[in-house]
Amino acid sequence: MNDAAVDEGLLRVAVERMAAQNLGAIRAAALERFAEAGLPTTRHEDWRYTNLTPVAALSNRWLAQIAPQVATEGLEELRSDSIRGEIDAHWIELDNGILCSDSLGQLERELAGGVTLSRLSEADGREVHIGDPLSSFNAALMPDALLLKVGAGVALDKPIGFLLRDDASTSVCHVRLLIRLGRGANAEFVEAHRSAGGAEHFANLVTEIELDRGAVARYVKIQERAETHMQVGRLLVRLDDESRFEHSSVDLGGKLIRNDVSVTIAGKGAHFSTSGVYLAHGRQHIDNHICADHAVGPATSRQAYRGIASGRARCVFNGKAIVRQGADGTDAEQTNHNLLLSDRAEIDTKPELEIYADDVKCSHGATVGQLDAQALFYLRSRGLDRERAAQILTRAFAGRVLSEIAVESVRPYVERIVDAKLDALVEADEE
Amino acid sequence: MLKIQDLAVSTGGTRILNGLTLAVSAGEVHAIMGPNGSGKSTLAQVIAGHPDYTVEQGTVTFDAKDLLELEPEERAREGIFLGFQYPVEIPGVNNAYLLKAAVNAKRKANGQDEIDAFEFLKLAREKMSLLGMDPALLNRGVNEGFSGGEKKRNEILQMAVLEPRLAILDETDSGLDIDALKAVAGGVNALRSPDRAIVLVTHYQRLLDYVEPDVVHVLSKGRIVRSGDKSLATELEERGYDWVQEAASA
Repeated sequence: MNDAAVDEGLLRVAVERMAAQNLGAIRAAALERFAEAGLPTTRHEDWRYTNLTPVAALSNRWLAQIAPQVATEGLEELRSDSIRGEIDAHWIELDNGILCSDSLGQLERELAGGVTLSRLSEADGREVHIGDPLSSFNAALMPDALLLKVGAGVALDKPIGFLLRDDASTSVCHVRLLIRLGRGANAEFVEAHRSAGGAEHFANLVTEIELDRGAVARYVKIQERAETHMQVGRLLVRLDDESRFEHSSVDLGGKLIRNDVSVTIAGKGAHFSTSGVYLAHGRQHIDNHICADHAVGPATSRQAYRGIASGRARCVFNGKAIVRQGADGTDAEQTNHNLLLSDRAEIDTKPELEIYADDVKCSHGATVGQLDAQALFYLRSRGLDRERAAQILTRAFAGRVLSEIAVESVRPYVERIVDAKLDALVEADEE
Repeated sequence: MLKIQDLAVSTGGTRILNGLTLAVSAGEVHAIMGPNGSGKSTLAQVIAGHPDYTVEQGTVTFDAKDLLELEPEERAREGIFLGFQYPVEIPGVNNAYLLKAAVNAKRKANGQDEIDAFEFLKLAREKMSLLGMDPALLNRGVNEGFSGGEKKRNEILQMAVLEPRLAILDETDSGLDIDALKAVAGGVNALRSPDRAIVLVTHYQRLLDYVEPDVVHVLSKGRIVRSGDKSLATELEERGYDWVQEAASA
């Protein structure tokens, strides 16, 4: 078995064995797309810094088992997940990628008509995105997909939460969420990644979001996986006229994390903003790729990410803005600031602009630096020990993003987990 | 209280202090004057423990304790305070938060409980009003976007709240208008007491019109070349530094 690539024979057998459920045609098409391309390698420019070999190896081991079985029996410790008590949301649970029917039914009752929830297997002729290898890999193996529609003009009272809980009973899961906001709808979303135990795991998440004219969505990803987890996520968003998509990403856990946020601005007067914070220690690897594709103008996009790496961690940021021909009146901005707490940590940051229109305003800025020695001495001269001074400075650095987290009601939770991770980062650096 | 004996210090391979000797007793105010590049700021930073400076010879003791063995934070907790020539801007760190953390670090070192939040605010506001500071500065980032005068007053505020036993003020008077200078001087004078010492590092005699020193030293090429009473400051103001330096090398 070649562990650098997903074994096609095993994959074909696995797809055949999956319950047909109406998804046969989608799976077959996705399988062919994936078989052609395979997983991207570091020879692809977009994947230069992120090596998916361990993903292929784990996937092969999983596929070689009887069949892609999904179990949810080991999740007891997450059943009463603390996050539910801390973030007030309409939670939808996905245990090892499997939608919990209980939570779906309960949610529909709670939301009383404003939101429709269904499964892809129940929808006729609905297509899903399979245009890139990880999306086709996902579509070939996803157990089902969630369809969520917020009705036109509906404004939700509190966020909808996706609680992704994974444990050792299943080592691979492919999750797909399909979300649509009708005209003028207004909704907030929280995507929380949690794990039970410290076994190896690979999660491949694809979320497709469509915003109709004038809709507003705020979406926050909070990732606190065990440091044995690998996770790739694609967030594919399409914006119609006057719609707004405000996104934030908080990555604290995981061994290998790759996020692709790809937003197509297809409507005049639309706005896309994303802010993110990633904190990595040990040998964690966190890669964020953002693309704001301005197909029409005028429209605005904002990207502002901050990262801190200690130990031997590695972080990647690639922020791109494409301004298509005729997308005049585009206003695109991106910044990425990074802090290195150790000599052996590495951060690669690359802002990219592709501009084919004339009347545009674009800017970008990226920095990688260390804790300011003068500020550190200043704090110590006031009686704070070195570790505490470093904590205060790293907190201040990350804090710039925390005040911009798109869903305001999750900020206290995010602040708490970021503080805890920062303490771990600074302590690890002291050793 | 503070005894410096034959101190030699370098940074980045360049010798800055060259056999400096100085003794400051409790209750005294010393002024250290000298031309640019004479080593005044280096002396202030070395006493506070700045890691960029290497002590090559000599001793620095504070109440018979070897200061050079202590980390900057330990020196602060012993009661040493450095008012920075260029106070550092720290965006994202609340000014009140730092002030309170500093007070509590000192209290903890002295085996006291943390200061009560209400008591702390009362103390900070009271000191700010004495210094003519806008209370709103308490809730801004540390020195973030402060004017030159606000930054220097903020240093004096920290000093006033921390009540150090030895305060070293590095060019705290530079760049201040007359109102700010008077406010800063008022803050320094309020701290004067028989069990405290103050070292004013300054280029000009201006501050000394408001804070009367007991001893004035002239620093040149990393050594103290002349010491005298406050009339020395007036003489320097009239004649410049050249004559002292010439007299020293003669």
